[in-house]
Amino acid sequence: MTGGGTIVNRDQFLSRVSSAVMASDAPPPPIVAERLPDLDPVDHLAMFRLRAQTVDAVVHGPVTRHGVPRAIIGIAAGHECETFASWDDLPVSGIPTALTVAGLTRVGHVVPSDGRKAHQMEYAGLDLGVTGSVAGLAESGSVVLTHGPGKARMVSLSPEVHVVLLEVANIDRTLAFWAARHPEMTRQTANLVIVTGPSRTGDIELELNLGVHGPRHVHVILIR
Amino acid sequence: MSVQPVTFLSRAERILGTDEAAAVDRGMRLMTAMREAAVDEFPIAKELRDRTRAIRLHALAHLDRLIAKFADQVAEAGGRVHFAGDADEANRIVAEILEDTGSELVVKAKSMVSEEIELNAHLEASGVEVVETDLGEFIIQLAGDTPSHIIAPVLHMTKESIGALFAEKLGVEETADPVRLNQIARDHLREIFLRADAGISGVNLAVAESGSIVVVTNEGNGRLTTTAPRVHIALMGMERIVSRWEDAAVVLEVLARSATGQRLSVYTNVITGPRRPGDPDGPDELHVVILDNGRSDILAGDTAEILACIRCGACLNVCPVFRTVGGHAYGTVYSGPMGSIVTPGLQGMEPWWELPYASTLCGACEEVCPVGIQIPSMLLKLRERAASEGRLPGWLEKGMSRYARTAEDAGRWARAKRWASALSAPLSSRGWIRRAPGPARGWTQHRDLPRPAKESFGDWWRDNREP
Ligand code: SF4
Repeated sequence: MTGGGTIVNRDQFLSRVSSAVMASDAPPPPIVAERLPDLDPVDHLAMFRLRAQTVDAVVHGPVTRHGVPRAIIGIAAGHECETFASWDDLPVSGIPTALTVAGLTRVGHVVPSDGRKAHQMEYAGLDLGVTGSVAGLAESGSVVLTHGPGKARMVSLSPEVHVVLLEVANIDRTLAFWAARHPEMTRQTANLVIVTGPSRTGDIELELNLGVHGPRHVHVILIR
Repeated sequence: MSVQPVTFLSRAERILGTDEAAAVDRGMRLMTAMREAAVDEFPIAKELRDRTRAIRLHALAHLDRLIAKFADQVAEAGGRVHFAGDADEANRIVAEILEDTGSELVVKAKSMVSEEIELNAHLEASGVEVVETDLGEFIIQLAGDTPSHIIAPVLHMTKESIGALFAEKLGVEETADPVRLNQIARDHLREIFLRADAGISGVNLAVAESGSIVVVTNEGNGRLTTTAPRVHIALMGMERIVSRWEDAAVVLEVLARSATGQRLSVYTNVITGPRRPGDPDGPDELHVVILDNGRSDILAGDTAEILACIRCGACLNVCPVFRTVGGHAYGTVYSGPMGSIVTPGLQGMEPWWELPYASTLCGACEEVCPVGIQIPSMLLKLRERAASEGRLPGWLEKGMSRYARTAEDAGRWARAKRWASALSAPLSSRGWIRRAPGPARGWTQHRDLPRPAKESFGDWWRDNREP
């Protein structure tokens, strides 16, 4: 039975839920161990490489820090990129300069609250976005990005090509294991995103299609 | 979507034997195959499913406390929480937020709750332009249609029909190439994303401890909707909550594998409040609308366990009835076995009392459900309720009295269920019950099974309606 009275405030809403919880005959939760079970160890790097490729990401390296700018320029050339946006907060310095010297034009990534639409329009035809990551997930071939000062969300979302830098030491097994080790992570950032390969859809007759809204290409550069 | 007060039978009849039925059947086979490959591959897959059940049932047992905690944490992170008792109230709250913020163009990421409350119709009536951005939903919106599946909403359309639709509505050259169709939608929608004033998303999961909401998409429209516009409005059913981030992570892994056979969805987007000082982008305002709309009635009743559902859609894909008639026959946003319990619970038995009968009670749904929800026994409870109110579908009275007796009697049902679960393995591989032993034998004999799936169900349907 629904649609009766309206519940305008929090107290009324919650007291209704409380009564329902009291009356509920939902089965009791099964007892599970607090900790996730131990897994047989695997080579995280090898598994990450394999699984990232399974979801159509391209994995490069591991390279040294010095090798990163050259790797990015190579990827940009391969996709004929003309414009790029980059986080300021990257594990390797000098990347925006190197890309500019290589002939690409940088698009600003700060979207002020005033005039936000005009600024965002710059993103419309963006070719390349360069970001870091806080973790890799071996089992799913994913990278975990947290956003904040110097780390814009749109840089990994708007371009055709997303290049993400990942330190090999930060590869964990799965999301559940990583989250258990970092229980505070969601409080520390207004936006955390786990990216597993390029944007995809199967909506039209369940045929796989890449790049429907997000990047069509995801390149992961592993850093030693 | 609009509620269609037409009987399940008449809706099903319109669909059987059409292209739509064929497309749904083809889609279901593919999706089940993809899913089967992924579900059991991970070494602790079973443990993760058990944990998911524990996490979800724990949340239901503490739902009042978790919602209160969640609301406090959203506020702490700078967001605003709104409590909506029913659909009207939720619609009004959203309309007010849009008005207060001067929002005229609104982008939406797929949200079942927004369909449940028929938000689009409501907003369009108040002059706001609403654009669906999930590729499937965008197509549905252009066609003026309703989704046929919770994971794959345009399962019932072919690429040729989509190409014709784009040509007609968007003025592009007609094509049946999915890559081209994709590009057309991307270009069209990107410009709208960047111009939009507000974005409306659903919530796959909410984390009480941190006030975070999680929006999962594969296309990236969920991220664009919650990033580009100045205002983000998130609509969530009040049961979408879990206690901690670690718990959410377990459920998200299980959800991806069970829904689409992926190890994780492409974008798992965790949002905790609006953009913070120093953040280069993101929405300035975050509003979270928490919806009851009948959920507390379900929680207080004997089908409470269905609120533990994580909306993976797996039970739809294995259901012989859903496979045969598709989502439209159910006439509501929540379809398949899960929907046959949720809909009468949310909207009352009237006019939905016959949905629990749209099931063979074969048990495949319960076996496949990653949360282990006891779907058939809840369908049975709803049948008991309908029968006790003197309601039995005519097609059941006609030819299936023996089956109906089994279905309405708990003792008989327990026996039937044991048989049914023995059947569910061959069922999920072949898609249809060939011959049922035990208490269900009478049923299969009456219905002259075995036969090819679609035909037999169609014949069965026709043979058993009122003359
Ligand atoms: S009832 Fe179970 S199988 Fe069905 S959608 Fe919900 S979680 Fe998935």
